[in-house]
Amino acid sequence: MDKGAKKEMKWIYEEIVGRIPPFSLVSYQYSILMQLLFLLILGLIFGFIFNLESISLFYGSLAILVAVSWSLLILQLGPTLRKFRAPLSKDENELLERYKGILFHRNHYEAIPGLAIFIQFMLYLFFYGSDLVENWLGKNPHIILLLFVSLLIWDICYRMGLGIWASVLALWRSVRLKKLAEKRTELEHTPYTELRSLQKLDINNVFFGIISLLLIPLLQSDNFLVTIIVIFMLFITLISVISAYIVSKVPWLPPDIYNLVNESSFAYIGTSLGGVTHVTPVVYVFDGQKIFFNTSKEAKKLKIMQKNNKVAFLIDKRDMSNIYENKAVLFTGEVKIYGLLDVPLRLVQMLQTLSLFIKKYPEYTRKYSTSELPKAWQLTPIIARILVEVKPIKIIYWRGAKQISVPV
Amino acid sequence: MKIPVEMRNILYGNYFGYVCTSDRHDQPHLTPVFFVYDEHSQKIFFITNDKSKKVKNIFENPNVSITIDIRDTVNPFNNEGVMAQGTANVTEHAPIYFLSEETLQLYYDIYMEFKSKYQKVIENKPLGENDVIVQISIQKIVYWKGPHFKSVRLDNTGLG
Repeated sequence: MDKGAKKEMKWIYEEIVGRIPPFSLVSYQYSILMQLLFLLILGLIFGFIFNLESISLFYGSLAILVAVSWSLLILQLGPTLRKFRAPLSKDENELLERYKGILFHRNHYEAIPGLAIFIQFMLYLFFYGSDLVENWLGKNPHIILLLFVSLLIWDICYRMGLGIWASVLALWRSVRLKKLAEKRTELEHTPYTELRSLQKLDINNVFFGIISLLLIPLLQSDNFLVTIIVIFMLFITLISVISAYIVSKVPWLPPDIYNLVNESSFAYIGTSLGGVTHVTPVVYVFDGQKIFFNTSKEAKKLKIMQKNNKVAFLIDKRDMSNIYENKAVLFTGEVKIYGLLDVPLRLVQMLQTLSLFIKKYPEYTRKYSTSELPKAWQLTPIIARILVEVKPIKIIYWRGAKQISVPV
Repeated sequence: MKIPVEMRNILYGNYFGYVCTSDRHDQPHLTPVFFVYDEHSQKIFFITNDKSKKVKNIFENPNVSITIDIRDTVNPFNNEGVMAQGTANVTEHAPIYFLSEETLQLYYDIYMEFKSKYQKVIENKPLGENDVIVQISIQKIVYWKGPHFKSVRLDNTGLG
């Protein structure tokens, strides 16, 4: 195994600067913040010494703000991936290890895009007659100022490169993960929490892309560079949205449980209030990601769940002729009860769920819609029966007499 | 009070029960069980492992409920079932020669009941070393058939 993936996952620039006191004395994240604060103070001092215009100070601070925001977003990659629990699938685990291995490779490939951007931008700035430097610092700026600005440009370019590096790799990882997930067998899967954290990293990258728009005021006099920034923004944002979407489509349940949940007709919902428990059968639907059941407004369980939303939700396949074929899955966790407020906010989700109910239980829907029934049992409007979403925290799976705990 | 006949029919005529327990933090837990019902004591018995989560929960909180139902995927009006709520008691667990005569008798009776009810699945499998009998004293039963509900409260005084 690559040793580089095992040690603290850091990129080259952060690693080098992190070794210089006083940055080496504080934790990784704080040291990045300190470096940028240090730059900010240095910039203000230079501004004072060289008598710069306030617009120059504004430009400098904006550049530092972008660098800080980018750092804060992208630096969550290391700690999040370090905490990542190994997927319970050999292939998916290998993929994640490879992803981490490349992302934080000991040859530091991550610096290449940044370096490429930096070199081209510097050439453009100083050799192609761009008037940006004059815009920023006025005529004939002091060499120290030029060096300082170059340092800031490096900071920005390096992080732009990291953004490209991280988001492209993330997309590759998501596509591969989705593919591998289709070949899972039995209980192989990547736990829900880990899929969500991958998705969160992708959402971070979306913000990363959007933040780049803050650079536009600095480059406004140059339409070409403004276009480049907009393209960069669209590129990062789009790639990250696609990656997050693909991850959201990776099933978080292993195939055995996925199929059981998908194929069963009934579930049991256990609730508890003040220690007094309650358990009843319910009809439910599963959209591949979320589990919903519905209940009458008058139901005792609804009143209990409104006071204590912790539940146990069990789906099973029972067969008296062969108990070794019996299967059951227990989700313990919480529920979200959909109320009136959710109608405008989650209308699409609610309509989709309703149509799943109609498809899964056509007879039920028909019979529940007759007006001969007590009001509480009628299905007609969405709201007549209350929609409840199960949010599992723990999963227990039984196959025959074997009990297996499945990480969420 | 006697349990009405339609409820008794459900208790006698079905193989699977769903036991809900909850821990001291009010977190429910649910498992399918094989059970037998004894009309004389108005108790439901099931056998489980003494290391199981439900036994741990019962020691923290003896209030349990069990649902036994007939489900029809096509016609909801055929759905019929009962939910019994009550308090559970786990039989003492010790090597067999330390058990009281009363407990031994209970083990014997319940085991024979199980054997006759679940002949096909139990065959001659003896009770396991860690198996314990859980008895539920029913305090309240809710019965439903289609959209109709009915409930009775029994005067089995257990823990309130």
